[in-house]
Amino acid sequence: MAKKPIDLSPGNWPQLIYRLFTSFKVATVVFVLMTLITLLGTLYQVEHGLHAAKERYFYSWIIVEKVWNIPLLVPGGMLLMWVLFINMTLGALVKVRKRWKGFGMLVGHLGMLMLLAGAFVTHKASSDGYMALYPGMKSNRVESYRDWQLEIMPLSEEGKAEKAWVLPADELQSIRSDEQRRYETADLPFDIVINGFSQNATPIPVSAPMASEANGKEIDGFKLSQQQTSKNAEQNLPGCYIELRPENGDPIETILWAGSFRFDPREKPMPFTFEVEGQKYGALLAKKTWVVPFEVELNEFIFERHPGISTARNYESRITRFEEGQPEKPVEIKMNEPMRYQGYTFFQESFGPQGSEPGDEMFSQFAVANNPADQWPLWSLVVTGIGMTLHFLIMLISFVVRSFTRPSKTTAS
Amino acid sequence: MKQFFFLLLCAFFTTGLTQARDLPQSNLESYEAWDPETVHAFERILVQDGGRVKPIYTVSRFTLMSFSGKSRAKFETKDGEKHNLHYSEWMLNVLFRGEIAKDIPVFVVDNSEAVVQIGVSPKSKKRTVYSYNDLVPGRARLAELSAQYNEKHQKFIQSEKRDRQFELDPVEGMVRNLGGNISSFEFLVGQLGFARDGKILVNENILPQELLDLAAKTSPMKMLREMPMPEMSIDQLVRVIQSPPASDEAEKTLQDVFRLYFFFANTSRGLNLFPPQDREVETWLSASDVMIKGLESKEARPWCADQLESIEKLVDAEKEGEENFRSAIDSFVESQHALSDPAGEGLYVDQEISLYRSMPFHKALYFFVGAFLVLAFSWLAPGSTFGKIMLIIASALALAGLVFDVYGIWLRCIVRQRPPITNLYDTIIFITATAVFLGLLIELFTRISIGTLLAVIAGVGGMFLSIKYEAKEASDTMDPLVAVLDTNFWLATHVTIINIGYAAALAAAVIGVVYLGALYFSKLRSMSFDTFAKWHGIIFATVLVLFLIIKVPSDKALQYLALYLGIALVFYGATIPFRRESDASGDQKNFFRTLTRMNYGIICFCLLFSLVGTVLGGIWANYSWGRFWGWDPKENGALMICLWTLVILHGRMAGWIRDLGVHMQSIFLAIITTFSWWGVNNLGVGLHSYGFTEGVWGALYTSWAILGIFLFMGVVIWFSNRARKASRREAPASRKSTAAA
Amino acid sequence: MNSFSKAISTCTLTAVLVAVTACNDSDMGPEGREIVIREIPEAHREFKLVDSARERFRYQSRPANSAGEQSTGPQLVYTTPEGWTDEGRSMMRDVNFTFGENGEGECYVARLPGAGGGLTANVNRWRGQMGAAPLSEEEIAALPKKPLFGQPATFLSVDGDFTGMGAGEAKKDYRLLGVILSAESSGAVFVKMTGPRELVEANAANFDLFVSSLDVSTGS
Repeated sequence: MAKKPIDLSPGNWPQLIYRLFTSFKVATVVFVLMTLITLLGTLYQVEHGLHAAKERYFYSWIIVEKVWNIPLLVPGGMLLMWVLFINMTLGALVKVRKRWKGFGMLVGHLGMLMLLAGAFVTHKASSDGYMALYPGMKSNRVESYRDWQLEIMPLSEEGKAEKAWVLPADELQSIRSDEQRRYETADLPFDIVINGFSQNATPIPVSAPMASEANGKEIDGFKLSQQQTSKNAEQNLPGCYIELRPENGDPIETILWAGSFRFDPREKPMPFTFEVEGQKYGALLAKKTWVVPFEVELNEFIFERHPGISTARNYESRITRFEEGQPEKPVEIKMNEPMRYQGYTFFQESFGPQGSEPGDEMFSQFAVANNPADQWPLWSLVVTGIGMTLHFLIMLISFVVRSFTRPSKTTAS
Repeated sequence: MKQFFFLLLCAFFTTGLTQARDLPQSNLESYEAWDPETVHAFERILVQDGGRVKPIYTVSRFTLMSFSGKSRAKFETKDGEKHNLHYSEWMLNVLFRGEIAKDIPVFVVDNSEAVVQIGVSPKSKKRTVYSYNDLVPGRARLAELSAQYNEKHQKFIQSEKRDRQFELDPVEGMVRNLGGNISSFEFLVGQLGFARDGKILVNENILPQELLDLAAKTSPMKMLREMPMPEMSIDQLVRVIQSPPASDEAEKTLQDVFRLYFFFANTSRGLNLFPPQDREVETWLSASDVMIKGLESKEARPWCADQLESIEKLVDAEKEGEENFRSAIDSFVESQHALSDPAGEGLYVDQEISLYRSMPFHKALYFFVGAFLVLAFSWLAPGSTFGKIMLIIASALALAGLVFDVYGIWLRCIVRQRPPITNLYDTIIFITATAVFLGLLIELFTRISIGTLLAVIAGVGGMFLSIKYEAKEASDTMDPLVAVLDTNFWLATHVTIINIGYAAALAAAVIGVVYLGALYFSKLRSMSFDTFAKWHGIIFATVLVLFLIIKVPSDKALQYLALYLGIALVFYGATIPFRRESDASGDQKNFFRTLTRMNYGIICFCLLFSLVGTVLGGIWANYSWGRFWGWDPKENGALMICLWTLVILHGRMAGWIRDLGVHMQSIFLAIITTFSWWGVNNLGVGLHSYGFTEGVWGALYTSWAILGIFLFMGVVIWFSNRARKASRREAPASRKSTAAA
Repeated sequence: MNSFSKAISTCTLTAVLVAVTACNDSDMGPEGREIVIREIPEAHREFKLVDSARERFRYQSRPANSAGEQSTGPQLVYTTPEGWTDEGRSMMRDVNFTFGENGEGECYVARLPGAGGGLTANVNRWRGQMGAAPLSEEEIAALPKKPLFGQPATFLSVDGDFTGMGAGEAKKDYRLLGVILSAESSGAVFVKMTGPRELVEANAANFDLFVSSLDVSTGS
């Protein structure tokens, strides 16, 4: 088999690019690299946790991997999936010869494309958070697992507030620990300056021996000590130094710490309080939140263990769903049986407080997901399944047909 | 001559597996066995343990396994008689004839250093089995050390990155285990101590003489019925017995009663024999729980006293001959069932007993080993009628092995009322069954003995692994499920399908191994059986000498050699069919091409199941956790299997992978599969870490090393092929050039 | 399909996909980089006003029982002195602290129903653990008092070599501080602190702080 020399003239480039992108070779290379990064990303979790592994390997375009201190560039999951998507679209759907024998595979690949598209939509458009409720509590507010925002609210004397000024999580969390950023808004009689934001921190009283190691400024007898971020990103409690600068008057400085927010759904957040121009304000690091278009009240949380041992057998929540203009609806949410409503899905995720035993008063925690591509994998599986079955059927038929026609062929030859 | 040599090797191989050992000595003068019928009656006693109601048969099995690593207690008494006790008979002794049980050697100690540490003179240097009485002199020291090592071990587990300084060395680990085992043994022997009229048998030295005297006169049952005890909680009881001794004589007696009551309530924990009176409650009570309940409420006392009395009746009946004992047991079991049956507990006790009694997985192993031997015979005269018959017999034996495996799986489904796979142990027996089935199916279509070989290798390996795993874990393999797994639909679909995918990947690797091994050996063209035998004779002798020099225990050495010989025979056997082909038609390629086609088919099969299984898993995850894909290690493992099969299929389309490549990649696929089957569970992260098994990494590395040898063979073949092609390309060219000249 | 149209289709697809990704990346949603006003949902409008940073950072007194045992009725509340580690409650100890570099200092609260064996017996039991001679009833009655739960409780301080429960060798040069409140009606309460003399001396103020902070919350 003599190889034809490749025509490298610029006029042939589109042709070459097309051939490259549609080739089985690219597909093979992509699969090998995907296997590699999946392995690396799995092992990375052991040391650094799931969140870090996802960011580094699976949601990235390029990874710098050091092997014996020699940096190597490895394509990230995002890049690989795009190349695969293009390769599959062009190679398996466009370029492929349309004939009956290939029909099953065509459908099969179509299903896989749907899966990838679903992954993309999920990655871009889905949100997930949680809602924790004690029996009797009612809420429509979903909290983020990891995202923290700065909230400033005017407080009444009893500590009530109806609205809050929010510095969004994306912005707040992009502030480095040695960075200063200033924000102003016409509605507030003071500017807000953030002097360094730490992803995970803990305030330490200056009297404690560890305080000498923290290099932050001392305010109200405390220093903010930066901590190593946790493997479980949900466990990080960020903190920051904040300065409130009224138009006239001395600036007010303090430390804000996520631990003042809430450990238990029944707790009320503890904001830092200050007064400007006779109005009392509170400043708080709070979980990023959003609301769902209906309210959920927990009526009963049921937690059972297998008799005599600590393995959980069942947890389920009986809730009532309230929505304007709709009758109240009782719903049961349990493991493997979520509530799907209006594009939101409520899953029985966990319960608390930590160390609770059956019989204690417990809160129930729901994971609340909003994913437009929620059901796409199911459809894509159906399509792929049909495709593969078709393919095997076609193969079988052609095999049978061939084995019937073969004898005549052999005699002919 | 050839045949004789071959038989010799086979004989050697089998003796290596069934090597007899010296029986441990017991201090007993003689041992009188129980009537089997009594043992069978005893087996059916219900116990709630590990979250479910099961026969005491199962509890006995795993208790003895955790002590001795075996399911039978074998020993020799002083009168020279040899005894071989079934676990349920052993348990019967432990509970009802504690003084004998204390002299039955069941505690295995791998290294005499562990015994020396607790101040007991070792029986022998190597792995030895000790009885409780052998170890009793070191009891105090053992308690102290094992508590110390336990603490260290806890620190090790809790330290963020498994801090090495807290890791127990093997001897420390052994002492820790032994400490745990001895104290569970004491709990079992002391369990019915409250009903034995003061014969407490273990730890009686804790009690002062006046309490022992008191124990001979009364029992917790009598105390509940006759003593004017006030209602109190266990905490209050503890405070009372810790308060300074009273001066008043009457008060002191009451205090003694409390102290004795507390002692019994403390020693009879653990064996939950009594279904609760109120069947709203699910948790069964141990004798200890019954005593505490009786103490807490006067209202419950009559019922509690009845329960304790039922045990006293059993203990008394034991002294009145086996017939009485049997009927007492029967009525006890009946009273248990009266409460448990309506609650739907213990309904499949008989099936569970017959599952363990019929030993389906052991039997399957025997059949697979038999099939292997017969298959080896078929290679003596390939192609002949004899060979064909042998092949049919081997396939039939393998089929019988499969039937036993499936029977076992079936019974386990019935007992649990669950689909076949709910835990790691289930995956072993299920994957084995699937791989054997695949092998036999292939044999049915190809008839070149490779399918049967695959079935036999999968069968022997899988059954061996399942038996080892069960003995190593030594805990019930039918534990109830955590909440998220409590769904028969997903267990039946996702879990089953993905495991079929695993099985196919492993089967593909076996074919790959056969292909590479056969091709590699075929490279050594001149290797006749005589050369093979000669070579292995040399290897054998060298290794034996080596083992003697480094003092590997002789039984271990024999096992290793037997294992090696087994592998070598498989190798050699795999080359025979190819010889036959080459002898008959002179076309080796046909045989290898068949293997490739076979493997390609299995890989396609693997892709179908892995892909569907993985996506189904994602859909399940979306139902229970709210996301389709979370990059969890187990998910990633499944994904890697899918990806690698895709690599093989697309690489083949790209022209990068040909016959040799398919087989080498299939071996690599198996490495990925074992990683995601066993490895990711032991990474210690992720949502799927339902089972953590110690020692898995070592086994995995070994298996990867073995597979690596074959990959290496593949590389050698690849290079030699290239060299040959190059020389062939040159040859015509030079001929041409000479012609031109 | 000719090669040109093939090339076009490749490029178009790539471009479209890149555009989709890019536009999605730049879209930060409704939240810009600016501060936004948000209405607080009705159920979450209440905040807890605290005066000090200590309280805001959760350094103030925590209940003796960890969450999960709240239903057991009244519970002890107290202030944890700085540098003390709460070891959690055990069967005999309602509150249990360690302190000192290696945790060799120990301080716990125990309660017994009834008079708990009487004041004299307990004082002398503790003195016995330190190797000191027993005191007579009169001597004990003359011991200093400290307030515990608002009642006068007997206070004793003993130096010596400490032999605690279950310990083998005596620990040299120890000091024991103890407060005993013994009453038939409400049961006896013991607060006991032991440790090397210098360490206990250094923590004497903490002991007083702790004892005076002890209170019973009725657990609303």
